[in-house]
Amino acid sequence: MMQKMISKDKISKFISVLQKEYKIFGPVREKGDIVFKEVQSADEMDLDYLNSKIPPKSVLFPMVDTLFSYKKDGEKVEIIENKPYNKVVIFGIRPCDAQSFYLLHNFFNFGKFKDPNFLDRLLNTVLIGIGCLNPRNTCFCTSVNGGPFNSEHVDILLTKFKENYFIASSTDDGDVILKKMDFLSDAKDSDVKEIEEMQKKVESSIKIIEDLEDLHKILDNMYEDPLWEECALGCLGCGTCSYLCPTCHCFDVVDENKPDGSGRRVRIWDTCQFPLFTLETSGHNPRTNKIQRARQRIYHKFNYYPKNYNLIGCVGCGRCILYCPVSNAARVGEHIGPLAWKSMNFIPSAAIASRLGVLFLSLP
Amino acid sequence: MSDLESSIRETAKNLLTEGKVDLILGYEKGALPLRAAPCFITDPTDVDRLVFDYSCDLNLAKFLREHPEKKLGIISKGCVGRGVIHLVVENQLNKENITIIGIPCQGVINRSRVIRKIGEREILEVKVENDKLLVKGKDFEESLPLDDYINNLCKTCHYKSPPVADITVGEATASSLQDNFEDITSFESKTPGEKMEYFKDELNRCIRCYACREACPVCYCSLCFIDQNKPVWFGKTADITDNFIFHMIRALHVAGRCVSCGACSSVCPMGIDLNLLNRKVEQIVKERYNFESGISLETPPPMGAHKFEDGQEFMIEED
Repeated sequence: MMQKMISKDKISKFISVLQKEYKIFGPVREKGDIVFKEVQSADEMDLDYLNSKIPPKSVLFPMVDTLFSYKKDGEKVEIIENKPYNKVVIFGIRPCDAQSFYLLHNFFNFGKFKDPNFLDRLLNTVLIGIGCLNPRNTCFCTSVNGGPFNSEHVDILLTKFKENYFIASSTDDGDVILKKMDFLSDAKDSDVKEIEEMQKKVESSIKIIEDLEDLHKILDNMYEDPLWEECALGCLGCGTCSYLCPTCHCFDVVDENKPDGSGRRVRIWDTCQFPLFTLETSGHNPRTNKIQRARQRIYHKFNYYPKNYNLIGCVGCGRCILYCPVSNAARVGEHIGPLAWKSMNFIPSAAIASRLGVLFLSLP
Repeated sequence: MSDLESSIRETAKNLLTEGKVDLILGYEKGALPLRAAPCFITDPTDVDRLVFDYSCDLNLAKFLREHPEKKLGIISKGCVGRGVIHLVVENQLNKENITIIGIPCQGVINRSRVIRKIGEREILEVKVENDKLLVKGKDFEESLPLDDYINNLCKTCHYKSPPVADITVGEATASSLQDNFEDITSFESKTPGEKMEYFKDELNRCIRCYACREACPVCYCSLCFIDQNKPVWFGKTADITDNFIFHMIRALHVAGRCVSCGACSSVCPMGIDLNLLNRKVEQIVKERYNFESGISLETPPPMGAHKFEDGQEFMIEED
């Protein structure tokens, strides 16, 4: 694995070398928000950003994904399959969002049926991350097996250092790319030491939510807890928390047929927060109310995910806290588990507090 | 704590203690600066959670229908009160069960505008001092002119307190403002091409989370037109054509019902100013029917009533 330095003004050269082989997606500022979009040059990107609003999962799992289209000519039907996927670099991805790809991979690769769209894209994607120098107050990546400079799920990680970026590869793909860049300089030992210290300092500034690892055991006994009623009270039942979540992956498949006999089958984002999500053809709906739906999201991430994949289904990016339109502390706490409430100064109602006594006592 | 807040808490406490209501619906501090959350209080000892300030942008009337069996007290700024009144007129609520606690509103801060101004810096504290909005973060402090960040809707709002209230807390401030729909006039001076560009630009960012619909006090259909799937009525993708259809039809569906609270714009996670569409519809309803929603418990909404003198110039007579 290689460790090098690249000066800021060489980033555009770095991108143009990559462009010979890859489509580049990077953080672009659009109407005040950061989004991951295809870029033609480094100038379009904003690399001093906190994090994107829509997570970069949208590159591999787009909001609207045409699975195939078709044309009909009398009795003849012509199916138009998707073209093979381009090789893609996601440049500037945060370590937490890179970790989400690892979690999404578990889902799309689970069991007998593999999801070709997601998996083929992932196979053709190189992740070049940028370490997080300014984690937000809402971040808790270090509580869910991540970190602001976690290189485990990226091919290459950049860390801004003075007028340079420290650039380190952590996979063979990353090595191959760095070897092509003949304009990188060597990283001095003293600089590397200074960078590591800076990384440690930033990492320790992120608050820790203890015991998230054990939350699934606590949740095992909380399925019927009145707590979920409290969580659902102020919830709007919109899709913001899940659509802006880097690890939420549910979808709907719809067919669009045009009068001229052509059409397409598309996959679109869907969420367990909508009543229609679980409405069965028979008319039966196993989750008719918000309480059940609010509970579902926390159980999926902190109970079912650990049980199915031995992993927590959350990367601690804090988007659900940041963007929940009602900013209900109970509702927000629901996303990261009751254990997180104390760190967010959530004052539960008197009734809830007495029931939750045990949980709150276990907090640092 | 402001004087208004202490009066709100006092009133809520009394109503709960005297058993006049089972549940108080108000605002509490949200998890982040510039955020208020809906707050549901049943225990009089919890009333100190109640707040009211520039961040209280949700329309609480939205939540009333979820508690049909309870006697409710609702902390109502003007547009919340209008929401309640309109829902009563539409027979969605039993007024006997609801106590409208009217409070005066100074307007709310347009959060997306503040966030766009501050950019990629984390906001850790927001304070209002006189006519300044002070925004603080780790390495910055900005003093912004408050008036530039007040919601446009609030600036033209002439119902700062609810038109109908059971209890009034604080001094109601009558607005001398005349709403001439200047925002709409100025938007309409654009060319059709420019308007199309604007809407394309805005609606392209819609992620179809339906926060606008879910936050809207008058969006209460048990099955929204967009969710009709047997058969499918409209596309549900986030493609621009589907987004156009959804937002245009929703705007028409709340014609003569929208209470101009702006909750749809406030809750939009993408910061789309959806209310612009509703403003146009509001203008049409006002001009054609001289009607504003949520003002009176007696007047039925124009789309739910028929008068012979209603204009029908769109009808084409056969020769």
